Amino acid sequence: MGLLEKIEQYTNRGTDKVSNKTAYSKFIDLGFPSLKNEEWKYTSLKKIIANNFEIENQGEEITDQEIKNNSLDLDNKVVFLNGELYQKPTISGVKIEKNIDHSPKYNDAITALNAALAENGYNITVSENTIVDKPLEILFLTKNKSENLAQYRNEIIVKKNSSIKIIEQVKNLSTNLCFSNMFTNINLEEKAIIEFNKLQNNNESQIIVDNTNINQETGSNSTFNTLLFGGAFTRNNLNFSQNGERCESNMNGVVILDNSEFADNHTYMDHLKANCESNELYKGIYLGKSKGVFNGKIMVRPDAQKINAFQANNNLLLSDDSSINSKPQLEIYADDVKCSHGCTIGQLDEDAIFYMNTRGISKQDAKAILTYAFASDALNKISIPYLYDVAKDLISKKLNVDLSF
Amino acid sequence: MKKEELSEDELLEKVTSTEYKYGFTTNIDSDTIPKGLSEDVVRIISKKKEEPNWMLEYRLKAYRTWLEMKEPDWANVNYPKPNYQDIIYYSAPKQKKKLDSLDDLDPELKKTFDKLGISLNEQKRLSGVAVDIVMDSVSVATSFKSKLADLGIIFCSISEAIKEHPELVQKYLGTVVPARDNFFSALNAAVFSDGSFCYIPKGSRCPMELSTYFRINEAGTGQFERTLLIADEGSYVSYLEGCTAPQRDENQLHAAVVELIAMDNAEIKYSTVQTWYPGNKDGVGGVFNFVTKRGICHKKAKISWTQVETGSAVTWKYPSCILKGDHSIGEFFSVAVTNNLQQADTGTKMIHLGKNSKSTIIAKGICAGKSNGSYRGLVQISKGAKNSRNFSQCDSLLMGDSCGSHTFPYIEVKNSSSQVEHEATTSKIGEDQIFYCNQRGIGTEEAIALIVNGYCKDVLNQLPMEFAVEAQKLLEISLEGSVG
Repeated sequence: MGLLEKIEQYTNRGTDKVSNKTAYSKFIDLGFPSLKNEEWKYTSLKKIIANNFEIENQGEEITDQEIKNNSLDLDNKVVFLNGELYQKPTISGVKIEKNIDHSPKYNDAITALNAALAENGYNITVSENTIVDKPLEILFLTKNKSENLAQYRNEIIVKKNSSIKIIEQVKNLSTNLCFSNMFTNINLEEKAIIEFNKLQNNNESQIIVDNTNINQETGSNSTFNTLLFGGAFTRNNLNFSQNGERCESNMNGVVILDNSEFADNHTYMDHLKANCESNELYKGIYLGKSKGVFNGKIMVRPDAQKINAFQANNNLLLSDDSSINSKPQLEIYADDVKCSHGCTIGQLDEDAIFYMNTRGISKQDAKAILTYAFASDALNKISIPYLYDVAKDLISKKLNVDLSF
Repeated sequence: MKKEELSEDELLEKVTSTEYKYGFTTNIDSDTIPKGLSEDVVRIISKKKEEPNWMLEYRLKAYRTWLEMKEPDWANVNYPKPNYQDIIYYSAPKQKKKLDSLDDLDPELKKTFDKLGISLNEQKRLSGVAVDIVMDSVSVATSFKSKLADLGIIFCSISEAIKEHPELVQKYLGTVVPARDNFFSALNAAVFSDGSFCYIPKGSRCPMELSTYFRINEAGTGQFERTLLIADEGSYVSYLEGCTAPQRDENQLHAAVVELIAMDNAEIKYSTVQTWYPGNKDGVGGVFNFVTKRGICHKKAKISWTQVETGSAVTWKYPSCILKGDHSIGEFFSVAVTNNLQQADTGTKMIHLGKNSKSTIIAKGICAGKSNGSYRGLVQISKGAKNSRNFSQCDSLLMGDSCGSHTFPYIEVKNSSSQVEHEATTSKIGEDQIFYCNQRGIGTEEAIALIVNGYCKDVLNQLPMEFAVEAQKLLEISLEGSVG
């Protein structure tokens, strides 16, 4: 039975199953997006939604050891096990609780489905003038007896003059497929700062569709790092909207895929007010039969003058069976702006490899050094030293080389 | 001589108040059929053109395909959808007899061409350009025909080619742009009334520039011309295309199809200066320009598209190259200027199929007034197109705070030995650039002209000499006040 039928079967069992009825009817109207949908032109959900996902959880027990093994083991941790909030830290000035917001915030069918049925998630509020110095780790773990759909709906509010750093991971511990439909809404008030790191180092039974909306007020600053090192299917939608002047938004991504992994990164940068800035840098490395999609859109609304918006997407195709589809877009309705995008697709420089060979560096090491150097521009944007090391470690494992230089 | 200094606002005011200089009509008798489209209309057109049966079949098949198709709406343009039953599909200037020389041409018609600045005789003497002129729907004059025939080059109207070279037309028509390709190509295949046909034989180099001039004259007509250009092995041809229309309050439809075939080692250079009536400054009237242009490159062949687009109320045009052969080359150079309420969604498609194929895209957009300009392009490198290379650059220059400029590139790469680069920028003319010029005694207006010319130079340099001069003048007219 396909996912759509399963969902209908589930909601037919009782009206209380649907938290937001408008969102649910919106989802039923739209249905899962097909390749005809411009935003899903290169990303097919057809095979995925044909799977027999259970809507209700039949979670297996997750031990403390498993949590430890799968987390970065930071001091401040929020842990969800099979959809339930299991652990949360106490941090002064930060309120963390279960999210019960089902307000109609949705962009498309998938987010509408999330709004309609998601029952869990976190709500983090950082009060005014609070600097949270230790990074906060958020971990979603699932271990299921069957293939299942896991939906989370989260909200982060960073109040005036406050700042927080977050590292989020979504992991499936079983070999049964897990379809995680994540939705996170982030509101940054005046002069608030956030650094959000998404570490997506998943196994082949993890499917993720992630939607994150970031709403920024005057003078706020957001940095979003996506570290994507694996997963059967990953689709990230990052939507920034700058609702005040002098905002800054930064998006960085490192994508390394192998085998038949698939990743699609969609970003949408909406400049509504004047005097703002955005920077975007996505690096993709594709091995094996992996496939990548990048879609970055910069929108500058009328009267949003003095905008600087820069976007770059660089890709390395290292195997003949890998492929990339890239769609950088600019939509500009104001004249006094500086906007640019650049996209490159290519290989490692043969001359550089030869140069290193002549100096006694093996071909494999030379390739690793160059590949790592390629990714490091984006990697350097991570401000948490520990996470930087973890990422470097994961890259060397993925590329199967020693990067301990 | 002291030039009056204008503020930026005044400059823009001047820009938006310039009128269309080709906006006159010619009073000549014309042979038109009633409005509307049906199978009968297709049959009438075919009959009027005295076409063979296979051509009628081709048209009817295209018409039936068209009936099942929907008008595309994915382009970033807004316009009232034309009523296809409210268009005259055939209109021809009445001719008493077949013309032998240009001296027999209707004096009224001749006057029109003089006004347009294409004095046939003069061109004959001075520049050595062979011109085929298509007015409303029918080719009215072709110059230099006999001289070209000596070299084995066939250059005539397509209706003539259907009659005299049916084997060539039948073999190649619709092979690059099939009727079912899109809504407008199907419409064109059903009702096209004329256009140009050109065949360059093996190993020959066309000694002069070939040129077609299109003009819509009759009110309420649509122009659907079809161009078929075949460059046989090892040949070379440079082809120019120009177009104008009278000033009218209604929207006229222009849906053309251009097919280029470059056989092994052949080279085609196709240049367009598009100056259809853009509508007045309130956006009333103007031509809807929905054109399908595509070329196929066989082994080591090269197709180069160059376009200067300043006219039309709505433009929807993507000259493309299918790089089928190994070592084939595709190029696209474009300057698109939009002003007032004009909208342009233009770009190219480079489809790499052959090994070591190369493509270059340089697209420059200039938007002024309340206009919107979009670049939409596709670079597709298939799995077998090893060692392919693409370089794309699309820049937009914004003049005025209520215009919009957009870029929608699609890049699809399916092998690991190809390299693709794409870059796009959007900006306005820097205050510091103008200040620098002012400092050196160059007025603001001249400074803008200087900068715009420099900005478009990469593309204008690609145009043949005669056109480059015309194109520069066109830029001046389109942006008059800021370019002078």
